[in-house]
This record gives sequence, C-alpha cells and structure tokens, in this order.
Amino acid sequence: MKAFAVALLVVVTACGQGKAIFNVDAFSFMQGTGTDTIPYLIPPVGSATASTVQKISLPPGFGSSVVDSVRITTGNANLENTGGSGTIGFQLFFASDSAGTYTAPMALNIPATAVTGTQTVPVVITGDLSGAVDSLFRQETVWMRIAATGTNGGATPVTGEGVLTALVIRIVLQDKVL
Amino acid sequence: MRTVVVILVVAALALVVPRPVHAQFSLDARRIGMAGVSLGRDGSARRYNPAYRAVKNRSGGPGQAKATIPIPLGLITFFQDHPPNRWGTDPMFNPDSAAFNPVELMNLVLNPPLSYEIKTAPTPTNDVEFTIGKNQLILNLGQTRVLIPEQKFGLGMNGRLLDLGFGVGGVHFGVMGFMNYEVEFVLDTALRRVLRDTVPVQPDSTYRILTDAVVQTGIMPTISFAHRLTHGKGAVGADSLESADDGFYIGGALHYYLGATYARGVGPMGFTVGNPIFAASPGVLLDTRVQTSNKPFGKGVGGDVGVAWISGPFEVGIGVNDLGAELTWSDTKIQRIQYDVAGDSMSVTMTANHTETKTKLPISYLANAAIRMGTGTTVGGDVFNAGRHTVIHVGAEQRWGPFALRGGVARDQRKKMQFGFGGGIRMGSFGLDAGVFTHSSTLSETRAMTLATSISVY
Repeated sequence: MKAFAVALLVVVTACGQGKAIFNVDAFSFMQGTGTDTIPYLIPPVGSATASTVQKISLPPGFGSSVVDSVRITTGNANLENTGGSGTIGFQLFFASDSAGTYTAPMALNIPATAVTGTQTVPVVITGDLSGAVDSLFRQETVWMRIAATGTNGGATPVTGEGVLTALVIRIVLQDKVL
Repeated sequence: MRTVVVILVVAALALVVPRPVHAQFSLDARRIGMAGVSLGRDGSARRYNPAYRAVKNRSGGPGQAKATIPIPLGLITFFQDHPPNRWGTDPMFNPDSAAFNPVELMNLVLNPPLSYEIKTAPTPTNDVEFTIGKNQLILNLGQTRVLIPEQKFGLGMNGRLLDLGFGVGGVHFGVMGFMNYEVEFVLDTALRRVLRDTVPVQPDSTYRILTDAVVQTGIMPTISFAHRLTHGKGAVGADSLESADDGFYIGGALHYYLGATYARGVGPMGFTVGNPIFAASPGVLLDTRVQTSNKPFGKGVGGDVGVAWISGPFEVGIGVNDLGAELTWSDTKIQRIQYDVAGDSMSVTMTANHTETKTKLPISYLANAAIRMGTGTTVGGDVFNAGRHTVIHVGAEQRWGPFALRGGVARDQRKKMQFGFGGGIRMGSFGLDAGVFTHSSTLSETRAMTLATSISVY
C-alpha cells in the first residue's frame, strides 16, 4: 500500500503543485481486534486510567513535507457503563513508538462525561491535532494511544468500557515527495 | 524493492503524459513568430523529404537565412533567480532542500530556459485525496484524473543523429545514425476506473498496466537520389530566383539499417490486493519478457520517398521516412523478469538464447506548402508526424523592405490551438528577429507566452 500511495503522489507531483490528503479510517483497523475497547474500573473515591494503543501506517517519503493539518474529523465512542457513578474523559497521545505514547504530551483532550448506573453514553471525539504532532505525521509509522481517565466520587466502583465506534484522521500534506 | 518497482511504474505513467508543447519548436525566432511553421527550405524539409535534395536552398531570399543564432534572453532571468554561486544551497539543485523538486529539475534539463517568459501559466494546483481503511481504498486524483488515458498512450522518439556523405549529380552516398525509442502503456479497465472515475479498489482484485517498450540504435548506410523531373515554364530563361526553381522534384533514399543494439520489454505491471484490502500489503505484479541483442548489426532495409512541386510562388512537398524499416536481430536473448512477492526480490529467467527477433522503426512524414504572394507576403503550413501525434502549423510573413511581420497558429500534440506572432528587421547580411508563441500546461486552460529572439545571417 505504501508503495502504491507514494507512486500516485509522484504522479501528482509531476502534474502540478497541491496537497496530499489522507483520510485514514483508524477505527477500521481497530475494530474486532480488542483495541477498540477500553475497559475501566474506577475504585471508590479515586481515579484511574486505562489505555489502548494503535499503530498507524502512513506512506513513506514525506520526510521533507510540510504538514498542513492533522485533524480527527470523525470520532465516536460509547461509554457503556455497567455500575457506579463518575466521569470519563478521553485523551489522545501520539509518538513514534508504542512506549513513547506514555510519555508524549497530550495531543487532544475530550472533556469528561458523566456516567451513572447502567447506561450507554455517546461521546464525540473530534479536534485539531495540528502543531503538537505535525512532525510525527511525516514519518511512516505513528503510534496512537487513547486513554480513558475516570474519576469516582461515590462509594461504589465505576465499571464499564469505552467502545470506539468511529475514528477518522485527516492528514493534509504539501505533496513534497522524495 | 517493492516500493521502487511500483513507483517506477506509476511515475512513468505520469511523466510521459504532460509533454512540453514548445518542445516541437526550434530556436529560430522567425519560426516561433509563425507558430512553428518554416517558410524556408531548411533542415526539416530536407530531413523528411529527400526530393528537397534536388531543390536549391537559396539563402538570401525572404525568410531563408544561412544560419540562425538564438539570443538566450531567458537565461538572464534564470541566472537572476538562480545565481550560480548559490547553486549549492539553491532548492532547484540541492536535493537536501525541503523545496527540492526532482520533476522541476528534470523539466529544466529537458527544456532549457533559453526563451524569455513574458507570461507564465499559473502553476496548476491539484489536491489528491486518499481514503484508507482496512477494507477501503479510494483514490481521488482531482484534476489529474483527466490525464488518465482511455486508450493506449506513451512516448517515443525517432531521430537521425548524423548525416555524413557526399553527392555526385543527383545521387548521394552517406551514413546516417538512427535512434528510436517507443514506450507504450495500456491501463486495464479496473485500474483506469480506480484512477479516473474514483471507483473504490475492490478486495481480491488485480490492477495492471500493460507495457511495451523498445529502444534501438545503429547506423544506416544510405544511397539517395533526387531529381528534378520537369522544369516549369518560369524556369526556362528565368530572370528571377523564384521562377528558376520551377519544376517537379522526386527523391528517394534506400537505407541499409545496421542496428548496434536494442532492447524490448513487454509485460504487465501492477498490484494485487487481498480481502480485506489491507489485511496484508498489496502484492506487486511484474512479469515482463525482455529481449536484448547479444550482438550488434541487426539488419534491415527501408527507405524514404518524397516529392516536391514548385511553380512560381507556390511550393508544396511531402516526404515519408522509414518505409518498410524492419530490422532482423539474428542473436537475441529472451528473459523473463518477475517480481517475487514472498522474497521481495526480482527473478530473472532465461527463456531463449541466440534466437532471432525483429523490430520496426515508425514511419514519419512531413507535408509542407508555401506561397509567396508577390506583395511581400508569404503564407505556409506543414503537417508533421513522427510516428505519434500529428502537429499542424500555419503561418504567414509580411515584409516591407527591411521589416517583417509574422503570425501563425498551430495545433499542438494535445490538439490545443496555439498562436505565434513576431517581427524582425534585416540590416544587410544580418537580421534581428523576435517571436512570441503561446503554450499550455497540462492542467490549465490559461496559455503562457514566451519570447524568443535570434540573429539571422543571410
């Protein structure tokens, strides 16, 4: 795939200046593999964080490119709470390797959503990642960590899972290939 | 390796399509001012029409110079923009620069900026969009989609590199060099729809480009004959140079082609996707049969024919080259080159050796006509085809004493209309000419204008 994508960009480079836009449906690579689900268990009067990590492969040859923008254009998750009351928020981290996502600065923060009892709460995950992660998206591989951070002010544990249902990352590059 | 193979395949697709329109022009500002037409009996007429060997090339007449020296005004602008002492850091020449563009550098080499750009065409902007999912791949090439051809496409060149010899009467003995390359591509329907119609790539599918490429070169001892069959009424006791050439001329040349070397590659290239599409990396498909000559001197016979008719102010000619030019290569090896997906490597298998194969040279033709109207006006045109796209030029020149005014139109290789205009002044044995012509880029309807200047020696 990488080869084919780069080859096509060479075509475009030969024919005029412009931008290369990648709409990467990251969710499609996560669906059914278990990485699309983040189980959470938040103890009483406490907080907890659970994560899932996903590798994103991009076309090679963009080391000299200028990243115009990186956005999550479509992102949805369901908070399927099975007990307790608290709040759950999402944070996204990007790095060049899996371990680095645990030390990287946060690229996107989705404000906490309240959950209680047995319910499913939809959450929208969209936002601009530009600036913080531009240089990463010139590489062939980017690792993404989605963290669910919860707080529990009650006396019973908050349990459930965050289930990702859509995640599309739009990367816009000046098509400077080679 | 996989990356390199696919890049080469698709890059070839891109790079052969947007041929520069102005490549067909000479550096003669007079021709450029007439959109490319030549009113004189210059090298083009003699190159493609052997009958013109019998027609006197009268220099000194209107539009007929002994030599033309281009004035490369475009280099002034180029060196202002790219000072030689800064080439080390100039993005144009420095591959390490973020702004380095290999396509732009290649274009500079192929089309040196000798002429001055009066009006540059807007740089086409074109966004391409890729939608990628585990089982989804959609390619939207934007305006570039119009470049994806429906039919067979490619590029080629059929040139004669030298012409050495001597003549006795109407017979000419000589040796010419020839070089020919032809590269043709055909996209299969599935790939064409993906690239042109933004149809999603389908799982468990194969997409192919069929390629046929040949390059051959050699020399050809030649005997040619040109003769003036009739003398027109005006030529008998002619009191002017114009009528002195009246008559019907024929010419022919017989070539014995001695090929030095050749290579030909035929076969599909492409890629195969699985189900889901990105369950694994797409497999590269390359299965090419390559023929190469073991020994020089592929042999063949072919010829050129031409006729020209001159009657007073009217002149017309047509010449056809390389008729029946088929070379037989007696000692050829045939190899099969395949891409091994599992090993990510190429395999080469000899399928036949010391076998006989044949190649052909494409037929070229040039038809030209001109009329001098007696009031200082000369009108002419030509139709030219070197085995590929036909190019048509029509132009006129009006002279008033030392001054000349010129104009013309052309249909370029992409069937777009282009225009030229210009003028000149002659002072004794020298003339200064300027010509402006239009040309278009592939993705823009806006025409650019280029100024060429040259000195003519009469």
